[in-house]
Amino acid sequence: MRVMVLVKANKDSEAGVMPDEDLLTRMGAYNEELVKAGVLLAMDGLHPSAKGLRMRFDGAKRTLTDGPFAETKELLAGFWIWQVRSFDEAVEWLKRAPFDGGTEIELRPIFEMEDFGEVLTPELREQEERVRAESAKLAG
Amino acid sequence: MRFMVLVKATKDSEAGAPPTRELVDAMMAYNEELVKAGIMKGGDGLQPSAKGARVQFDGAQRAVVDGPFAETKELVAGYWIWECKSLDEAIAWVKRCPNPMPGPSEIEIRPVVDIADFGEMVSPEAAATWDRLKSEVGNG
Repeated sequence: MRVMVLVKANKDSEAGVMPDEDLLTRMGAYNEELVKAGVLLAMDGLHPSAKGLRMRFDGAKRTLTDGPFAETKELLAGFWIWQVRSFDEAVEWLKRAPFDGGTEIELRPIFEMEDFGEVLTPELREQEERVRAESAKLAG
Repeated sequence: MRFMVLVKATKDSEAGAPPTRELVDAMMAYNEELVKAGIMKGGDGLQPSAKGARVQFDGAQRAVVDGPFAETKELVAGYWIWECKSLDEAIAWVKRCPNPMPGPSEIEIRPVVDIADFGEMVSPEAAATWDRLKSEVGNG
């Protein structure tokens, strides 16, 4: 199964402050372990929400709001996508991450095609597979 | 430039309500357009937070808190990673997105960090490690 690991924002990340070199080094070593174990599928960090925006969908209306957004500790600052055998394995990997100081990291199982059951017709399944294969090529 | 496009959760997504056939069709057609335009580099839907967990880090301590989590409208229900020429192009594409939820909903656009954005704050060694890890996981 695949899981998304969501690293939430804090005052520093929202202010654009870089982590110190010690943490960067430990995070680099942790990422290397994830790669060696075949767990790490993708990762990225996000710029502070001041550089982002939100679009509200309501009927045919689209309303745009510029960042920054107030609820700092609910904002996303970065993420990993992991391939694991079970949710418990993901929890065990996450426990080894070099975070501290009350940081809270969220783990969420990703929907796979089989989770959709009958809503996903054979045609849609084929389309989904094609879109995934082509977007993976673009990402490569 | 790469962007992370975050679909926020709603009561429906958190309740695990399956999408309608019309929405699945519309979303799949939209994904095809994104791929044809060379925009979409990845994307996934997340299972409701009831199936997720959070790990809190404090010194050597790790506390695991099971979902669901209360702040529904701040939770992530799905995401894309896009390659666009500008923030304006990303906004234009989000405007064309079918409303991803049965009722009012919100999509957040966040620029993804490129290691080059940090300039001299990142040591050449750290930049090289990041580049190598990114190429090993293959997500740009």
